[in-house]
Amino acid sequence: MTPWGAVWEGLRAETAQLRRSPLLLILAVIQAVTFLLLVSLFGLTGSRAPTAIVDQDGGPAAGRLVADLAEAHRSFSLRNMPAAAADAALRRGDLVAVITIPHGFSAAVQRGDTVALPVAVDNVDADLTDDVQRALPSAIIAFGHQMGFPGIRLQPAERDVLPHDTDFIPYLVVSALALDALVVAGVLAAIAVAREFEAGTARVLALSPMHPLVPLSGRLLATGMVSLAAMGITTALVVLLYHVVPINPAELILGLFACVVIFTCVGAAVGGMIRRILPVTALIFGIALPLYIDSGALEPERFDGDIIWAVAHASPVYYAVGVLEHAFHSLHVTPEPVVVDLLALAGWAAVALVGAWALMRRRMAR
Amino acid sequence: MMRGILALARLDLALWRRSPWTIVSALVPPLGMAVLLAMLTLSVGRQPVALVVEGNGPEAQSMARVLESDTEAYSLTVTDAATAAGMLHDQTAAAVIVIPPGFDQAVATHQATLDLTLNNVDVDFADDIRRTVSRSAAEFDAPQLGIQGELAGPSQGVLLPNPYRVAVAELPLRQTNVDFMRYQVLPALVLLVLSVGLMGTALLSARDVEQGTARVLVLSPQPAWRLVAGRFAGGVAVCLVVLVPILVIATLLRVIAPPVEHWPALLAVFVATALCAAGLGAALGAWIRRARVVAMAASIVATYLFFLGGGFTTIAFLPGWLRAISAAVPIRYAIDGMRQCLFYPDLRGVGTDLLVLGVTAVVAVMVGSLTVRRAWAS
Repeated sequence: MTPWGAVWEGLRAETAQLRRSPLLLILAVIQAVTFLLLVSLFGLTGSRAPTAIVDQDGGPAAGRLVADLAEAHRSFSLRNMPAAAADAALRRGDLVAVITIPHGFSAAVQRGDTVALPVAVDNVDADLTDDVQRALPSAIIAFGHQMGFPGIRLQPAERDVLPHDTDFIPYLVVSALALDALVVAGVLAAIAVAREFEAGTARVLALSPMHPLVPLSGRLLATGMVSLAAMGITTALVVLLYHVVPINPAELILGLFACVVIFTCVGAAVGGMIRRILPVTALIFGIALPLYIDSGALEPERFDGDIIWAVAHASPVYYAVGVLEHAFHSLHVTPEPVVVDLLALAGWAAVALVGAWALMRRRMAR
Repeated sequence: MMRGILALARLDLALWRRSPWTIVSALVPPLGMAVLLAMLTLSVGRQPVALVVEGNGPEAQSMARVLESDTEAYSLTVTDAATAAGMLHDQTAAAVIVIPPGFDQAVATHQATLDLTLNNVDVDFADDIRRTVSRSAAEFDAPQLGIQGELAGPSQGVLLPNPYRVAVAELPLRQTNVDFMRYQVLPALVLLVLSVGLMGTALLSARDVEQGTARVLVLSPQPAWRLVAGRFAGGVAVCLVVLVPILVIATLLRVIAPPVEHWPALLAVFVATALCAAGLGAALGAWIRRARVVAMAASIVATYLFFLGGGFTTIAFLPGWLRAISAAVPIRYAIDGMRQCLFYPDLRGVGTDLLVLGVTAVVAVMVGSLTVRRAWAS
């Protein structure tokens, strides 16, 4: 049998194996979709803090202030509520804050008086409290300018680097594709390799006249193709469900292909190292989350300082996120040009391939 | 009666001890979550911003002091315009704030601007910077709109007039803020219980069926329900073996510090969560019956329960339909109950949380028992 024939037979064997485990395939796709949904949930909590407005004034200035609060950089999701209901909801943890506009507010500000707004804050989480504390002055500035009050000497003037903002969820679901590739391709490849060791067929392969890694490559080719299909489904969901359309489709295809190759090799290396099916899923899943966060998944990683940025370079997910965000949104989320990110991914693929090959060769020799 | 149950529980504990990879499988996801939280703690809140002070009068210096003093919001680098542009380009700064030349004269004519150039690559951090810069600008004309003013000004009865004619009297609901890390460490503990209970019991159940030991169990003189009870007792015991040392360490390090009288409720929530997880795990393992698939299925189930239950997300922020789904997720009651025990002065709602967890545990144990017995019988 030629080496290509052995690769083909390995591919056929793994395909047959996967066909006998439809549940595993279904779970792989569910896993991929799960991450999209999860990052969406996380994205929903990034802005628009649920906040009650208790408008005891009802005058035009109060209405203006409520409108300015609603427009204060996506800070608040406002609900008009009576005071008692708002207080109860705040204590239940259903609200982050209750802003009360007191009786006589409109008349007082028209007279030139300064009115204190009582703002009750559930300061259980410092992160949410900070957001509320920072957002209120934004609304108050806008209110002062729109009401045309004299005496305001300064206003911020913003110039954005990019022509439009990218919403948080469209940003997150794109970076989640890299996480998906890591988990799906990594787990399927790791299971395929670990199975050979656990079932003892690795020894049989070692005795064959063909180098044992050749048929194993065929198996990895099969898991890689399944991973590509799962990524195709997930990408289609991003386009159809989230209406996030890639601006550079060729870059997207290259990036996803490189991700599947890299993470298949990484999975193979993990499977060869652990040689047991049971822990590989949890292990890859467990390492995926920190790698994902330290990859520019939430914002450009460079903003998090030198150490975190330097650590991020040790993971292919960093470059993958750089490529995918550019492919979908034309955003530069790494200081390195996208070409460098693509080359780095290609380099990672080569290193992962050689690394997996060397590690498995050593394992099989034992 | 108890001997039979304890014998199987001991057997499961022994199996765990002899299966280091099973322990690793259950521990890695919560450990990954803990690392993730640590990384998020480093990255939330402060954004790297370059400040260029081109005005040289006292008003410009005053504005610069306002910005420099807000160390909670900015990681500020004071530099010149060219360097700031370079920092924006190479992403060492997310934004550049310029106090322009002629600032003092512009202030005198009420025409001053604080110029912000922002890398608006995504709205989440871009809005954080917009809010923060707005607050700094407001503080220039109205010092009480700064953080100290919000906390110690009008709320303490000291109201200074300002040109915006609005001030903020902040009334915190509780005495101290809980920092992000401490707030999120609790869901990581819940994930630990969930992962160990669900995955551990699922793997043991699947292995019984896959390796045929279920047939041996069925032939034992013990009634089936005792064997099933032993499996749950083993699952809960394993959870507690893993959880208790971590709770002790977290308590000693003051990462968790509930009022003394809240401890029994907190422990009850943990035990009820472990029982729910063990019941679900037993059902899942006996249903799927194959260890290699069980690990992935358990990961997915644990992930959904955890995220929809409010681990890592704040349920109040979610749309109504998701909040409705979340209300049917038992882990939400575990997380709510634990937060109430740890961060709130009273135990309001913990009774309901325990009731929901208890009912879920009973249902999970019943479903788990039926599935396990059916799997053993077949």
